[in-house]
Amino acid sequence: MARYFGIDKIGKLFSYIQQNGGIRNTLWKMYRMDEGKAGTLIGTDKYGNKYYEDPTQFYGRNRWVEYVEHRNLEYDGSQIPAEWFGWMHYKTDLPPHRDGNRKHYKWMADHSENLSGTTDSYMPYSTTRPKVEAWDPKKSTAQ
Amino acid sequence: MLRAPMFRALVLAQLPSRAGILFTTSRMQSNAPAKAPEKIEVFIDDQPVMVAPGTTVLQAAAQVGVEIPRFCYHERLAVAGNCRMCLVEVEKSPKPVAACAMPVMKGWRIKTNSDMTRKAREGVMEFLLSNHPLDCPICDQGGECDLQDQAMAFGSDRSRFTDINHAGKRAVEDKDIGPLVKTIMTRCIHCTRCIRFASEVAGVDDLGTTGRGNEMQVGMYVEKLFLTELSGNVIDLCPVGALTNKPYSFVARPWEIRKVDSIDVLDALGSNIVVSTRTGEVLRILPRENEDINEEWLSDKSRFACDGLKRQRLITPMLRKPDGEFEAVEWESALITAAQAIRNAPKDKIAAVAGSLVDAEQLVAVKDLLNRLGSELLCTEQKFPTADGTSGTDLRSNYLLNSSIASCEDADLVLLVGTNPRYEAPLLNTRLRKGYVHKEQDIAYIGPEVDLSYRYEYLGNRSLTIEDIAKGKHPFAQRLKQAKRPLIIVGANALARNDGKAYIAALQSFARQLKPEDKNWKVWNVLQTNASQVAALDVGYKPGVEEVLAAQPKVLFLLGADGNAVNKENIPKDCFVIYQGHHGDQGAQLAHAILPGAAYTEKQGTYVNTEGRAQQTLVAVSPPGMAREDWKIIRALSEVVGTVLPYDTLDELRNRMEDIAPHLVRYGHLEENNFYAQAEQLIKTQASSFQGDVDVNQKSLEDFFMTDSITRASPTMAKCVAAVKKAQATG
Repeated sequence: MARYFGIDKIGKLFSYIQQNGGIRNTLWKMYRMDEGKAGTLIGTDKYGNKYYEDPTQFYGRNRWVEYVEHRNLEYDGSQIPAEWFGWMHYKTDLPPHRDGNRKHYKWMADHSENLSGTTDSYMPYSTTRPKVEAWDPKKSTAQ
Repeated sequence: MLRAPMFRALVLAQLPSRAGILFTTSRMQSNAPAKAPEKIEVFIDDQPVMVAPGTTVLQAAAQVGVEIPRFCYHERLAVAGNCRMCLVEVEKSPKPVAACAMPVMKGWRIKTNSDMTRKAREGVMEFLLSNHPLDCPICDQGGECDLQDQAMAFGSDRSRFTDINHAGKRAVEDKDIGPLVKTIMTRCIHCTRCIRFASEVAGVDDLGTTGRGNEMQVGMYVEKLFLTELSGNVIDLCPVGALTNKPYSFVARPWEIRKVDSIDVLDALGSNIVVSTRTGEVLRILPRENEDINEEWLSDKSRFACDGLKRQRLITPMLRKPDGEFEAVEWESALITAAQAIRNAPKDKIAAVAGSLVDAEQLVAVKDLLNRLGSELLCTEQKFPTADGTSGTDLRSNYLLNSSIASCEDADLVLLVGTNPRYEAPLLNTRLRKGYVHKEQDIAYIGPEVDLSYRYEYLGNRSLTIEDIAKGKHPFAQRLKQAKRPLIIVGANALARNDGKAYIAALQSFARQLKPEDKNWKVWNVLQTNASQVAALDVGYKPGVEEVLAAQPKVLFLLGADGNAVNKENIPKDCFVIYQGHHGDQGAQLAHAILPGAAYTEKQGTYVNTEGRAQQTLVAVSPPGMAREDWKIIRALSEVVGTVLPYDTLDELRNRMEDIAPHLVRYGHLEENNFYAQAEQLIKTQASSFQGDVDVNQKSLEDFFMTDSITRASPTMAKCVAAVKKAQATG
């Protein structure tokens, strides 16, 4: 009956607020991630991102990541390391710390996030010669 | 004070009639036979046309606008008649005749579009193509190839060429004939235009054919370079891609290119050129036809030095820091620094020196600015003898090639003094050679022994000879006096010497004494070497830097002055030097402030050539980086100095130029000169003596290529010099 009228949602809301640690934290979470939901903590990656699961949500929205606090609003999907990528995308149900069959080779490069739009982004340099070569006063005085 | 308005009005009033008289008389004398022979009537495709006897079928057809295809025939070269492309049918003649070589007979009915004619053309074209490589997609001539065009227009519409045995086409080894002309000899169709050009116009009998029939080859007989200052013209003459432009090879296709008509400024002739550009880059320079100046030829320097426009450029204003290094700055700070120096200087201590590539707009703007500031210290780099102060250059006839470039070929006796026209003005030299070859012109020469490409009477290099001739003691003086159309051409570099006054005093009064048959024939001619010199003298610059430097200027404008007339030694110690120009060369090294200007392909500028003809360059590409058109820089500087020049647009500036010297804006018009007697009096004051022998600056081909800031920056020109030196060392 309660489900039929949707009253259990109110109970869920209160449980979210409780899990998030109060109204204030819930509002902050909604501000930061547009979502207030809480779930079971599955694991934490090497950067401090936390991975959650809530099986009561429908498929596709039942696994999520809460990026590490210091990223603030500057987060994006490329900050998820390769280990967690498979779990996040439902390739596997085993998170990395529970999966013993993962291969680790020494040639595997460390994860790096997408730097587009930052000062560290990759910028190709021109390999064509300039159409006009400028006079270099230093060169000509040396002659 | 002969440049007063009254004086100008007089000249103007006389101008049209005088010009008309001169033109008809000199032409009539040179070309008109004693009695006009009767014309004969022929029929071209049933159109009647009256032609003079001796006219060829091809010329007669051209008169009614019928174009007959040809490969070997060229108007300016001898008729060879070996390509057979111009075969046409003549009624009642059993065989087709070669139109380029066959003079018409009375009543001939020529059919240029009959079955026989077409069959003959298709047959010739088929033979040509059967041994011509099918490499049009990678051929540099593609798109501007006579063979392509005529194969489309006159060739057969299908091929019978089947090489079932894969025997391959005839192939010929390429020749290395220098750094300018690339040869792909397999493409050669043996029209022999290049051979005829070399032996007739350039005067180097190096090219020729060996073998016959299928074994015939065009080449140099032995492995050597095609060393002439006109070698680039064989590229234009070649109807196929056998001779192509080496620096331009694989660079662009003709349909990608933007063409801008312009004027060449690397010598004082002002040859007409077409600047080909693509995406803001000058790719090549071709000659433009102008019967009065360059016909359709162009010297190698003018044609190939265009890559110098992309090297060593000044693209940003620079200021010299206290430690002596240059620092690139914005226009604002450069102009403010320059203006401060000008404002701090005493008003009569501001000077300007004009170099060899400056346009008249800049000359006028700088002169206006300095005059408004109260200074009269304006001069050109190259000297010219003056009597006292400026009076030597008050009348134009003193420093111009008065008889005009075109009529140089009509002279019957030419005396060259202290000039090597072959390298100072290659296209004037072709005129003289034309006169020598076709019009029985005799040429005598005083100066160090050089190869002028024609035989001349060598009068030695002693300046004493000039004196003897002037006094009538030398036997050659008698010949000059008897000559109908004598010509004395003196090099500007000879007059720029310290004893230049002696040259002008001796030769000009002698030239006045000569009595040519035609009263309007001009004997006295100066061959200038700098494109800007005539315009500078016309607007009132003083020739020679000594007077200006002696005034100890505090601010010195170097307007593209890279000729070493102003250098570290003679520049006053506490002088603030402003260099305005387009190349980092000798002048820029002296500067405290550098204002980057535009080169001749980047601005609309007026240049007056050595015969006094004003012509203008047009903008082909925009100036690189922060460089600007030169007169605009001066205009902006005047604003900062606080003495604003009264013109904001080019048209307003040109109105000002017209006020100073009207001929500067009469583009393409040859201004008539007069007042020869007064001109001579002005310059003849104190007699001075010769010092040393007669000399010329450019003696051999290696001296030809690098003469100014553009050519010195050009890698192609450097390659040419290296090639010539190597060729001289080996043989």
